[in-house]
Amino acid sequence: MKWMAADVEMYQKAAEYVDTAVIPLMPVSFGDDMKQHATMAEFAGILTTQLEKQFRGRIFLMPGFVYFKGHEGSLEGLRNWENTLLDKQFKHVFYVTSDISWRQHEKGLGGSLLWLPSLSLDNLPDQQKVSLVDDQVKQLLSLFTEKWQEG
Amino acid sequence: MSKHRVSRRQFLNYTLTGVGGFMAAGMLMPMVRFAVDPMLKAEDAGDFIATPLKVADITAEPQKVNFSFTQKDAWYESEETGTAWVFKNEAGEIVALSPVCKHLGCVVDWNTDKKNPNMFFCPCHYGLYEKDGTNVPGTPPLAPLDVYPTREKDGFLYVGKAEPRKGA
Repeated sequence: MKWMAADVEMYQKAAEYVDTAVIPLMPVSFGDDMKQHATMAEFAGILTTQLEKQFRGRIFLMPGFVYFKGHEGSLEGLRNWENTLLDKQFKHVFYVTSDISWRQHEKGLGGSLLWLPSLSLDNLPDQQKVSLVDDQVKQLLSLFTEKWQEG
Repeated sequence: MSKHRVSRRQFLNYTLTGVGGFMAAGMLMPMVRFAVDPMLKAEDAGDFIATPLKVADITAEPQKVNFSFTQKDAWYESEETGTAWVFKNEAGEIVALSPVCKHLGCVVDWNTDKKNPNMFFCPCHYGLYEKDGTNVPGTPPLAPLDVYPTREKDGFLYVGKAEPRKGA
């Protein structure tokens, strides 16, 4: 389910079945690596959208967590999100990102961090884009099902 | 052949009707075309979407087929990918099932749950469907998988809009 009125309506009817929140972490900056960060944010967005299509009945795709690169406050902000989500019905929280700097904060987060190197999809033909992303999504899917089976 | 003399009056009559006829046709033809065109268009595949699957390749084992279609959302058109599970049932008829779980809309897979072979399995809440798409009572889904109407054209499978069925 997505953060959209129609999906929220569905969520409210079936909240007990939706126990997993997914948050794409999207960096923003205006320095030299602006483009790189845009690629990361875009990739995290595409991946999670595809993921949501497969598992829409059990995961809630949050609007992206957007942060300015180099701001120390972002970890604190994310922790707030996490606490709020875990307080509510959610049992699992997943973060999807291409920004490697989250790796060092992994221990400070209760949810699972899924880091994937971002692929630049800019210059690829559509068909290739789709199959590339599908492969990545497939690998993510099994991580989710494993986590669910653990309980 | 006898020589037939054409009078000036006759000659002018012929040429004028000829030229007038051409002009009238030039004006009317596009109008007729415009009027008839929508009818001609409705005749080809209708709302059926082509899949890359050859009808001859369909077996008794469900196989996954992806097809793309354009979806129009209030502001923009997007290229969406649809999926169908296609197989032949015992009667030899082609069955195309929608992969969308009737519980909360996850995507079901064929034969992926080891405990329940040869069934459609939903990984989200462990919903199960028989091969013909009937939901297994006791699992979360309350209705059978939707069915696509199918059609064959030039050897390829075409699917229509998925239709719901009544619950088991």
